[in-house]
Amino acid sequence: MLSWIRTLGSRTRAWLWPDRVDQDFERELSTHLDMLADENIRQGVPPEEARRAARIKLGGVAQLKETNRELRGLPFIETFFQDARYATRILRKNPGFTAVAVLTLALGIGANTAIFSVVYAVLLKPLPYANPDQLVTAFQANTQEGVPETGVSYPNFEEWRAQNHVFSELAGITAHQLTLTGRGEPSVVDTCVVTPEHFALLDVKPLQGRIFYPEDGKQGAPPAVIVSEHLWRGTFGADPKMLGSSIILDKRPFTVVGIMPAGFRSPFLNTKQEVWIPLVQDPLFGNWMARRGGHWLPAFGRLKPGVSIARAQAEMDAISERLASEFPAENKGWTVRLVPLQKEIVGDVRTALLVLLAAVGLVLLIACANIANLLLTRATARSKEIAVRVALGAGRSRIIRQLLSETAVLGMLGGMVGIALAYGGVQVLSSLIPGDVPRLNAIHVDKLVLAFALVLSAIASVAFGLVPAMFSVNSNIGGSLREGGGRSGESRNRRRARSVLAAAEIALAMVLLVAAGLLLRSFSKLTAVSPGFESQNIVKAEVSLPQFQYSKPQQWTAFSDELLTRIQAQPGLQNSAIAIPVPIVDGFINLGFEIEGAAPKSSSESRTADYVSVSPEYFRVMGIPLLSGRIFNQQDIASAPRVTLISKALAERYFPNQDPIGKHLNFGFPPNGEVSREIVGIVGDVRDTSLGNAPGPMMYVPSAQAPFWGADLVVRSTLSTSAVAAAIRQEVRRIDKDLPVTDVGKLPDLLDASVSQQRFRTFLLGVFAGMALVLAATGIFGVISYSVSCRTNEIGIRVALGASRSTILRMILRETLLLTFAGLLIGIPCALLASHLIGHMLFGVSAHDPATLVAVAFVLAAAALLAGYVPARRAMRVDPMTALRYE
Amino acid sequence: MPADKSDILQGTLDLMVLKTLEAMGPLHGYGIARRIEQISKEALQINQGTIYASLVRLMQKRWISGAWGTSDNNRKAKFYSITRAGGKQLNTQAENWERISAVIGRVLRMAGQG
Repeated sequence: MLSWIRTLGSRTRAWLWPDRVDQDFERELSTHLDMLADENIRQGVPPEEARRAARIKLGGVAQLKETNRELRGLPFIETFFQDARYATRILRKNPGFTAVAVLTLALGIGANTAIFSVVYAVLLKPLPYANPDQLVTAFQANTQEGVPETGVSYPNFEEWRAQNHVFSELAGITAHQLTLTGRGEPSVVDTCVVTPEHFALLDVKPLQGRIFYPEDGKQGAPPAVIVSEHLWRGTFGADPKMLGSSIILDKRPFTVVGIMPAGFRSPFLNTKQEVWIPLVQDPLFGNWMARRGGHWLPAFGRLKPGVSIARAQAEMDAISERLASEFPAENKGWTVRLVPLQKEIVGDVRTALLVLLAAVGLVLLIACANIANLLLTRATARSKEIAVRVALGAGRSRIIRQLLSETAVLGMLGGMVGIALAYGGVQVLSSLIPGDVPRLNAIHVDKLVLAFALVLSAIASVAFGLVPAMFSVNSNIGGSLREGGGRSGESRNRRRARSVLAAAEIALAMVLLVAAGLLLRSFSKLTAVSPGFESQNIVKAEVSLPQFQYSKPQQWTAFSDELLTRIQAQPGLQNSAIAIPVPIVDGFINLGFEIEGAAPKSSSESRTADYVSVSPEYFRVMGIPLLSGRIFNQQDIASAPRVTLISKALAERYFPNQDPIGKHLNFGFPPNGEVSREIVGIVGDVRDTSLGNAPGPMMYVPSAQAPFWGADLVVRSTLSTSAVAAAIRQEVRRIDKDLPVTDVGKLPDLLDASVSQQRFRTFLLGVFAGMALVLAATGIFGVISYSVSCRTNEIGIRVALGASRSTILRMILRETLLLTFAGLLIGIPCALLASHLIGHMLFGVSAHDPATLVAVAFVLAAAALLAGYVPARRAMRVDPMTALRYE
Repeated sequence: MPADKSDILQGTLDLMVLKTLEAMGPLHGYGIARRIEQISKEALQINQGTIYASLVRLMQKRWISGAWGTSDNNRKAKFYSITRAGGKQLNTQAENWERISAVIGRVLRMAGQG
């Protein structure tokens, strides 16, 4: 080993200073010659003869020098550079070929690199916290009630912290929106509501000031707030006296104790994160801290060094069992679920991104197959050159190396252009990526991504270079030399290889096109699905009331009543209603309910429905049909008997073959959980969770009987969105000048945004499939046109013997179709397999949708025929005289 | 690339060069070649140039070192001498050689009897 390194060192030296070594050796040889000659002369040989004999004895000087150079230098590198220079010259001589190959490759590499940089930033890069692999989320779950994961109550959280030995720290975090006043227009700030351990746990340093201390979390502590650098620079103009000053949140002063750097984000909240406040100071959640029953605080922790997640899980299981026996009413059936933070954050985006990565991988494969095909064509044209080389004694490995150097140069060029494309691609992708893709890491082309691109181009160049190189070397030298340039000299093997490559391209393109077709169909079904309400011409706006000032439900009702009355009085805004939450756009509130007089539910059955609080006009404004009974009216006020409307799905599931009207349900928004309400009517189903989910059971209550600390306005109007927004702002300000109006938007736009992830992946996969189609068609075109040019002679003879032009055309097209069908035959099972993998992303389309398969097959066949038609026409026009003379 | 067929021959020549340098002290290329021919009683008529390939290999492995000096009749020549590593290598290789040649000898005799 050591001697090997020494050898390399000495060789490298000689390689770096070849002239010096050469001169040295020449001197040595001449001395040797002189000495030999001297001896010959001593033996009486005449001087002339003596020198000649000496030269014979020593051997050819030039040859010796050559051997010496080879022994001393680094022949591998030397020949590589030599080959690369030669390759560059050859490629420059064929600019068309080079441009096509480099561009194809660059597209493949660029697309791969761009997608990989997204995958890397979202899936692979460690979270931007210290020792991120120690971070886990701690959620509560209840399999009996079908709750996969939810938050924990604060008293339970305290028990977890006190009793566990596996976490060095546990923290809770949730999001809230607070009203920031006192600085110009009142605005809503996205607030992270945290237990004070949060910052210490993540081990982050503030830009200025301090993080929260345990004292900040105590009852009665002075309200403290940490603001984001972004808010500080934006809203507060980078005020140098920010620390220690006080800002007004929900009408209450908070002292600014710290500023967080712009790069910092708390985990798993996809909100803007503008300020952080201790949980105890939150106007809403602060009041819930004493209750053991709720499940609202998502928690996460840092494992002690060396503690495995399995051990932590075991200990938390023991703790939840203890809690269940100690507080059975609140904790029976509830367990703890620990998940590595990274996994939790990435969630279901993972599959979508991996599918995209696989898709671009296929595009690159097709690109490589295409270039391999081009190279095979050229190798055929160059078979004479190579035969001459072999005849002159070039070794097989030497020729393969030379051909591979050519593809390596191509690969590198492609890689470089590809990286440039990737930079652009990442820009475009970043702007396209929907907001709900978790992005704790910024997406950009970084070192690892570049390394990926380089490795990719290296692999690609070997992949598409090796096959043609092998074929070139293995061909029959004598045959190639005789055939003189190889117009008709393509060996059968090589021809088969080219056809296999073209068919493989078709097959790969089929996989991509089917996947894209399925997603496209699925997406069009998704956007065409009726959500159960009319979204056209509806504008939605949100007003939330600061809870310190508006603390009583009576105030909330009074506010919404006045607001609605004022807005309805505006011209063009008569069709207005209040609802919380607005379906899809706001998410949903799922509550349990009991049916009065029904048999008690079994433990495995859970009765839950989505809860909406609405003003009576809501159903008319949203176009949700009344199926039986009556809608709410102005008499359904707080002092009147409690009433509810149920959805068709609820009626069908829980009152099969019965008339639910007149029956009573027990439910309510916490803390008023058990309120008996009479069912007065049944309304149509609404998709309230997402467009893709089938409607579930829902129950509506009149807002007067179930007020919220805020209002979502829905207005059906033919006025412009901005006019509606302006009218709403004006009326809100007349009631209270400190209330912000937020989240104004047209309902159709908001629904559109709710499928942005689907649109994103459909769009990208569509682009990739398009690329695949074009590449595959190019591949077919290449194979067929080459075949035509090889057969010019044969075609000429056929025409001379009386074959009609249409016969020739058919002959060539038959060859095209044969290739295509072979490709489709391989492609269909592959496509079925691949579409199986994306099955769960589909909506309203089977993964094995025959219509898509057939359509894709037709598109591919059409594209292939078109690609084959161009050379076929050329074949048809072959003039027999020219063709025969050509020989 | 040089072919691998003559590996044994190369190795043998290297061994002979090492032994010569050990026995004679510093010598130039001509001297080494001449000495090997003499010792072998002119049975081994080598193409003297091949000695240089051997010298390059041995230099690269640092088993010998080379320096320019003046020969008996005042010619500038490069003198090679064995290094300590080369000495060690010579011992092990010589042992190897003896063992192998003994084994080959036995095998050949046995084949002759059979």
